[in-house]
Amino acid sequence: MIARKDYKVLGGKLIRVELETDAGIVRRAAVKGDFFAHPEEAFERAEAGLVGLRIDELHSSARRLFGEGPLAIFGATPEDIAFALEGAAREAQGH
Amino acid sequence: MKLRVIDSSGERGIPGALNMGIDEALLGSVSRFEAEPTLRFYTWSPACVTVGYFQSLEEEVDLEACRRSGVDAVRRLTGGGAVFHDAELTYSIILPLSHELAPDDILESYRRICSGLVAGLDRLGVEASFEPLNDISVGGKKISGNAQTRRGSCLLQHGTILLDSDPDRMFSLLKVPAEKLKGKLIEDVKSRVTGLRSLLGREVSAAETAASIKEGCAEAWGAELVSGGLSAAEAKAAASFAAERFSSLAWNARR
Repeated sequence: MIARKDYKVLGGKLIRVELETDAGIVRRAAVKGDFFAHPEEAFERAEAGLVGLRIDELHSSARRLFGEGPLAIFGATPEDIAFALEGAAREAQGH
Repeated sequence: MKLRVIDSSGERGIPGALNMGIDEALLGSVSRFEAEPTLRFYTWSPACVTVGYFQSLEEEVDLEACRRSGVDAVRRLTGGGAVFHDAELTYSIILPLSHELAPDDILESYRRICSGLVAGLDRLGVEASFEPLNDISVGGKKISGNAQTRRGSCLLQHGTILLDSDPDRMFSLLKVPAEKLKGKLIEDVKSRVTGLRSLLGREVSAAETAASIKEGCAEAWGAELVSGGLSAAEAKAAASFAAERFSSLAWNARR
């Protein structure tokens, strides 16, 4: 199941999430958008860290993964990203 | 503080993939201490849409419309949003992270670097101000967007100074969430974005703008600007990045 969710952050940036799930587990996750993240590789590591997570732990794990140093995100918060991912996960579950 | 300046703003524009290739080549040579901190000015030919590092080119850009219009499309090394590069001056600056314009605090480094652009615009008779995080505006309207990345021991920041804005053309090349929103988005950009030609009520060239920005940077940064060019090794690396990265599907369609 592939679900997509666009989430407009207050202030203007757009987070676009693509989530592939199977049996309640994240198989692939892409967090795209017009935000900035430094260093970029740390953001991609956080993104890769979503794979294998259970959907019901996605929100809390995403907040932790995208909130960890040295990653600094401008234009979106880890909470915004977690929220967009949770929205996509709900869609994947057919809610 | 001494900066090498590479200014091609008075010459024919450069294709998007090569522009991004040159910026990456400079990032490499400065980070290996083979070249001095560098300030570059350039334009684009053909016009080009770039998208941010974290964006999907295919999701953001109407690639078929670009092909029909002869407009290039490239994914950048830097974050941020989609930009239509046409009537503008573009700059890039490449600095070691030990440089006084590149403090750890990213917002502060945007502010310090943009102070040179603001001083340059002032010389053109335009009262501009830095708008955190990464914009410069005049009378509440954006005239310059800037984007930064840090790789290894170096910072690359590039940005635009608009000569003219053409939101109708820009939105003919971008994908919008719903076609019925397009008119509103175009009106929104028209009310929020400005260019030097409408502000000054006269023709302004990229080269004239670059000349003023150079003076502004020298003054605001206390810098000595030394005119230079790409080394043979940088030109070779730039061509290679242009062909193998910025023209490749592997890079442009990676997200």
